Amino acid sequence: MTTQGAVLQVVEGATQEHATEGDLTPGPTNSPNRVRIIDATLACLARHGTLKTTVDDIARRAKVSRATVYRAFPGGRDEVLSAVVDTEVARLFSSLGVRLGAADDLADALVAGIVEASARIQGHAALQYLVEHEPEVVLGHLAFDESDRLLAAASRFTAPFLARWMSPKEAGRVAEWATRIVLSYAIAPSDRWDLTDAADTRHLVETFVLPGIRALYAAEHTAAIDITPFGSESHPRADHPDAGPDRTAP
Amino acid sequence: MDDTRQRILEATYACVARWGIAKTTVEDAAREAKVSRATVYRVFPGGREELVNAVISWATLEFFTRLYEQVHGAESLEQVMERGIMFAHRAIIEHEVLQRVMQTEPEKLLPALTFESVRIREGVALFLEPYLEQRGVAPGVERKEAADFLARMILSYMSAPGRWDLDDATQVAQLVRAELLAGVVGPESRDR
Repeated sequence: MTTQGAVLQVVEGATQEHATEGDLTPGPTNSPNRVRIIDATLACLARHGTLKTTVDDIARRAKVSRATVYRAFPGGRDEVLSAVVDTEVARLFSSLGVRLGAADDLADALVAGIVEASARIQGHAALQYLVEHEPEVVLGHLAFDESDRLLAAASRFTAPFLARWMSPKEAGRVAEWATRIVLSYAIAPSDRWDLTDAADTRHLVETFVLPGIRALYAAEHTAAIDITPFGSESHPRADHPDAGPDRTAP
Repeated sequence: MDDTRQRILEATYACVARWGIAKTTVEDAAREAKVSRATVYRVFPGGREELVNAVISWATLEFFTRLYEQVHGAESLEQVMERGIMFAHRAIIEHEVLQRVMQTEPEKLLPALTFESVRIREGVALFLEPYLEQRGVAPGVERKEAADFLARMILSYMSAPGRWDLDDATQVAQLVRAELLAGVVGPESRDR
């Protein structure tokens, strides 16, 4: 249960520091033993979950002694587990950052970001084991207030990448929307659309998301009412395209 | 028999409201419902676990029945979505039992609620379909596909409003008419 809560602290920490090279914990973070122990723990979690994974299991799998595990993680099992969460969140964000950074336009960024996040979440063996066998460890972050915090953290990290094509305020909103889409289809995959597939995702983005972004932009720039509650970061740019190139035409 | 089932579920819900999920036993539910333990086991052969799952399912259905009552008279797709999101948002915040359980024992509730959410999503999508048919969808949009997407998004906003103030009708109108519906119904037919 210590992974509960840890996830969000880490997500928030990571986004505030913009995931500085995956180095999120104090101490000898880059010691090869730590990485090795973390990866061994992931393998254990993918087979036995959090409840049945002991420090002995982790040590055996990492081919190190128990003492080595405790030297790297004095807090033992709980500390290892929260370091695993740290590491996996940092890995997700850094791969997401690479994909978003390489995109040439808004549609590409949305498609690449949604596919990357979906593939990482749905292909994550340890996470999927937990969803199946210890759902309470994971689901706590996906409902109500906790879900709001997760949305805020994820959109805080991804918004700056989208702000190349829109104002920071709009980017925040779009990033949040994309996060909702990833989470919804990750929790309950659809038999129509596989969001780990680029073609399916592009279809979804072009059909439902881009028109919505354009309409929101238009609504905001014609209506007198500000449509977000905290409008302090609003500074519409003169060079605003519309919401990116029109990809619905071809 | 159905009356007994309903009575046991209401009683169990009252126990959960008072003591939470973990501390509610079959005996408590039986006492509250004024039936014997044997009767509870006859209706819920799986005992406590089945009873807890059944009461979560029942309370969820109650919630969506109230939601349905709020929106079924709406005249348009826009109206039904706006009313639904606003009502559901308030109802969740004001739902004392839900809020308390989420505070104290979310791990007891969320797996069952997530399981329920598949059924809920299908229900919301089915409910939206006639409105989409009446409204007409944009070229290239399939009605069922749109209904499923909208149901997913409605459930997402209901449970976590994010950057939107869902008590503000103007914002909800923007969310529904611009963000959620622009692609579904097509931009040119958006204003009406």
